[in-house]
Amino acid sequence: MNKHQPAIANSSPQEHKPSPQPARDYSVFEAELSGQVFSLQLLRRLMQWMKPYRMTLFISAILILVSSSLQVLLPVILSLVVIDHIVMGMTDHLAPDMGMIAAVEQLSELFSLPPLIAACLVYAVVHLLWTITGHLHRMTLIHSVIKGLRDLRLDLFKHLETRPSSFYDRVAVGRVMTRVTNDIEALFELLRGVGTLLGEFVPFFVALGLLLVVSVKLTLLLLLVIPVMAGITALFRRMTRQLFRAVRLSLSALNQNLQENLAGLQVVQLSQRQGYNLTKYTGINKKNRNLEKETATIETIYGAFTDSVSGIALALVIYYGGGAVVQEQISLGGLVLFTRFIDMLFHPIVVLGEQTNILFRAMASGERIFQALDWDERVREPESPASLPDRLKGELVFNNLSFAYDSIMPVLHNLSFTIPAGETLAIVGPTGSGKSTITRLLGRFYDIEDNKIFLDGVDLNKIHTRDLRKRIGIVLQDFHIFSGSIYNNIALGDPHITREIAIKAAKTVNAHAFISQLSDNYDTQLSERGQNLSQGQRQLLAFARVLAADPEILILDEATANIDTETELLIQDALNKLTKNRTSILIAHRLQTIQNADRILVLNNGRVEELGNHTELMLKKSMYYRLHSLQFETESDE
Amino acid sequence: MFKSLFRLRLFIRPYNGRLTLGIFAFLIARIFEGIVPIFMMMGIDKIGAGEVDLLIPVLGIIGGVLGRFIVVSFARLSVRRVALNIAYDLRQNFYTQLQDQGASFFNRYSIGDLMTRAVADISLIQRFISMGTILLVILVFATVVGFGFMLSLSPQLTMMILPPLPLVFFYAWYSSRRMGITSATVQNRLSDIGTHVQENLSGIRTIQAMTQEDNEIARFSKINNEYAEAFYEQSKINSLMTAWMPSFAAVSIIIILGVGGGMVKDGSLSVGAFAAFFMYVNMVIQPFRVAGFMVNLFQRAAIASNRLFEIFDLPPEIKDQPTGLSPDKILGQIDFRNLSYRYPDSSVQILNNINLSISRGESITIMGRVGAGKTTLLKLIIRLLDPPNNQIFVDNFDVHDYPLAQLRSQIAYVPQDAFLFGEPLEQNLSYDDANRPIEQIWEAADSAYLKKTIENFPDQMQTIVGERGVTLSGGQKQRATLARGLIRNASVLILDDCFSSVDTQTEDHILSELKRLRKNQTTILVSHRVSTARHSDRIIVLSEGQIVETGSHEELIQQAGYYAELEKVQREGDSKNAGSHMESLRE
Repeated sequence: MNKHQPAIANSSPQEHKPSPQPARDYSVFEAELSGQVFSLQLLRRLMQWMKPYRMTLFISAILILVSSSLQVLLPVILSLVVIDHIVMGMTDHLAPDMGMIAAVEQLSELFSLPPLIAACLVYAVVHLLWTITGHLHRMTLIHSVIKGLRDLRLDLFKHLETRPSSFYDRVAVGRVMTRVTNDIEALFELLRGVGTLLGEFVPFFVALGLLLVVSVKLTLLLLLVIPVMAGITALFRRMTRQLFRAVRLSLSALNQNLQENLAGLQVVQLSQRQGYNLTKYTGINKKNRNLEKETATIETIYGAFTDSVSGIALALVIYYGGGAVVQEQISLGGLVLFTRFIDMLFHPIVVLGEQTNILFRAMASGERIFQALDWDERVREPESPASLPDRLKGELVFNNLSFAYDSIMPVLHNLSFTIPAGETLAIVGPTGSGKSTITRLLGRFYDIEDNKIFLDGVDLNKIHTRDLRKRIGIVLQDFHIFSGSIYNNIALGDPHITREIAIKAAKTVNAHAFISQLSDNYDTQLSERGQNLSQGQRQLLAFARVLAADPEILILDEATANIDTETELLIQDALNKLTKNRTSILIAHRLQTIQNADRILVLNNGRVEELGNHTELMLKKSMYYRLHSLQFETESDE
Repeated sequence: MFKSLFRLRLFIRPYNGRLTLGIFAFLIARIFEGIVPIFMMMGIDKIGAGEVDLLIPVLGIIGGVLGRFIVVSFARLSVRRVALNIAYDLRQNFYTQLQDQGASFFNRYSIGDLMTRAVADISLIQRFISMGTILLVILVFATVVGFGFMLSLSPQLTMMILPPLPLVFFYAWYSSRRMGITSATVQNRLSDIGTHVQENLSGIRTIQAMTQEDNEIARFSKINNEYAEAFYEQSKINSLMTAWMPSFAAVSIIIILGVGGGMVKDGSLSVGAFAAFFMYVNMVIQPFRVAGFMVNLFQRAAIASNRLFEIFDLPPEIKDQPTGLSPDKILGQIDFRNLSYRYPDSSVQILNNINLSISRGESITIMGRVGAGKTTLLKLIIRLLDPPNNQIFVDNFDVHDYPLAQLRSQIAYVPQDAFLFGEPLEQNLSYDDANRPIEQIWEAADSAYLKKTIENFPDQMQTIVGERGVTLSGGQKQRATLARGLIRNASVLILDDCFSSVDTQTEDHILSELKRLRKNQTTILVSHRVSTARHSDRIIVLSEGQIVETGSHEELIQQAGYYAELEKVQREGDSKNAGSHMESLRE
């Protein structure tokens, strides 16, 4: 233990050691952020993605102003023009008509129309313009928002796609995934909400200005209702926030319970737990229903309340406005104008209330997105990468390699051995001895110290991971089948791998037989994770994939599960062809695989225990001998 | 299609009274709402006539508003509570229904599919009942009440505003339908994004190892763009609807403005009535906006209830009808007499005329290729699949004679796929009986060679496992499920290939422990490894649903059949011979 230290903690002055990784707190990917804080900084950051579309946003802002003004003109035509001017025949106007009377009169004179018809025409034109500008405003806003968020989502995906394995070791895929899906969706919601708010608030202020000119007293009276409304809205939000959360939790508990019961139903039935589990489920279901009922009660009363506010305000307007009209402080049309504007004044408050939840949720989502974007964990790349020859010889040298995933538990200790070009080396050893770690280090999924592994004499750290991974073909234990056709799974988007090459590769590794029995041969669509293939078939497909890529070095971390003998033989045969004339490392979980190897390395607790060919190691009667005889004990052993 | 919606009445029936009351309350609420413009009219006309006594109209308005507030709250709440109760009942029904389903059911329905039914379909029906009812009632009542009031004010003007209404309705219906289609597209595209990300992140090592990052990013970018396009399309329809609906309504408004204004001028309509008309037009037109949405909701709810009733209508797969003749304690003799089995919906005979007698205390290993019928044979014993009558006997009684609970508790079956619940290990290992003493649980863990592993966890037996807990390796999971089987100390223990992820050394330990523990009890194993099989008293080789070899290790080696071949391959596995082995096995 004193002689060496875990790789990460180790350092010497000249050598470039893995950049000191700050202690990272992966728990942030577990926690649900509060999201109760409104953060301008977050919004500013979000705006970065809107920048390319700022011209469209600017046009959108102008359009909303135009559209809102037009919207306010409509009631003006109704009340001040039709009622006051035409019907009541008023000539001196107390309220600003915004040029509508003049417009109507000119139109009426120009085409010698009755004023009432002219007013209708003006109304129709204004309405049409309002409709068009409103639509254009919404579309320009949506256009820029969609594009901006699309870019953000792509950037986030790119970022996640290039995070190293050490990151994915620690975080749950589901948690990271929701950042790309749900969290970005929440931002869409937010920006949609902002659009709605703009559509409500801009007319609100325009209308407010107009009403103030018509009657300051009456307007102030109406404005008094707003704090009451806002207060009750805030109260409602406070009451429901916890409740909404509780409902969400109970609903997800309910679904989780069902999901687990379904997934484990066989065990449930075998253990005769149906009754017990139903009772448990009923409890959660009841709790959920009661919470939902509670929420429904509050929501219903609040909803009915907001519907009623404008009615109360109407009563206020009539009561106080009536006196003012009689005293000729405002016109009858002015009073009608007030009744028409009531909704325009109160509706924004209701909408604001509705949007706060979305806003807070979106804040939390934004926080999570940027947190992921800021996660700068990466595998170290060389500043000036070594250029590799077109074809490597394939010699691998391990020079005193030690490694630890975290600084506490070292996994590999001082490994030193050489794999000559073209050799096939099998690595065996008990679970946890570090076999798979060697694979991962060779693929540079983790940082190692300089000058620990050499490929044809070049330090692995001097090679860019992309170049390296093109030269080293790795078949992982949990190799991934992509949804798509068989051909795509072999070619993996490499244009050089034509159909002919793919078929040839499949034939070589004995995969062609089963593929040609599938309904669409090489065009057969594979479901996610290749569930429609057997384990052995998946293994053969992975072989075909790696053979088609034709790497100079092959690393195979084989799957452990038992495979029936026939497939086993196909795999052995394929392995022989794969490893021929190619430096290969086979992480063997079954001893059958070892028979393909030139030499065998026995790994135990991260150290090289034995290294030699089968006969040598059997003669040593040590660890390999024991491992081997366990599986193939002969009668005489007993 | 709407037949299944009609069937929902069975679930509504318990709440009929409440629902009727709620609907009636909506009518009252509408009338209260309709009163408000009348009092407004009265107020404006009084003002126009120069009167200052406005108390009656103002009180009328406030009365109308308050009355509506109370009644409408009651109405909405009644309907919503009914909907929540129905959702609760549907969930209970669904859960109960699934508990008695067996293997062929789960072959037909994936868990994802069932979850969608349980989550999305039930909540859709809940929304259909609450929102659908409310919307329908509002639409009908608003139209009836609104027109009633308008007619009383001026029949002439009322008739004038009718022409544009069909147009409003048609447009609403049309665009909601388009909306429904684009929404589905948006949902599909979004789920494409989810699938792509999920696949990428779970296969990230392969992607990086094969330097596929750029390809995958390009693929994602395409999907991402398609989503953005669909989203834009949806927003466009939405915006157009927001733009045009009021425009159609504006036609009515302009008619009132022109005709009504003229009527006011010649004195046949008061200014107040003129203003009130505008309010009624809003009242009548507003609900039309949701007409299309409503049609959509009805359609989707019909599909959802169809999908639910499909599940509700299935009979339980395995019937538990014990004859009462069978003994209380199973000792462990199992006989298969001319057993043949074919999966429902399948034409392939998976087991063909199996005759086998396993005596009490015997240990037996079943071998054979994938698809030979090994697991089917085992599942038939404990009736996870239902065998034909009089073909499988436990202690000389037909398995159907036993209560299902007894059969499954006294014969412990450890399935191939290790499944653990998201609960502490302690609960997982004692899943069949929560009251087992902790010592017994540790003992079982020890026998399954899991004790050390558990002791290394900080929370030991309280470690939460499963999907959301500590991730166990495949071998650890298998050993945990093994312990769950061992703890029952059952007369018959069936291990269905549950060492596949356990390394040979550990397996060896467990097998010798099994030998010690189950000296006089029946043990049935499935395995591909000769090293496993050789420990047992007898070995059976299944091929295409038939027993082709039977005997001890030595006997089968003598027979020079599949088993001997397997032994040879596993012993040597020599690459040189691979070809010839394949030839011989194919024959």
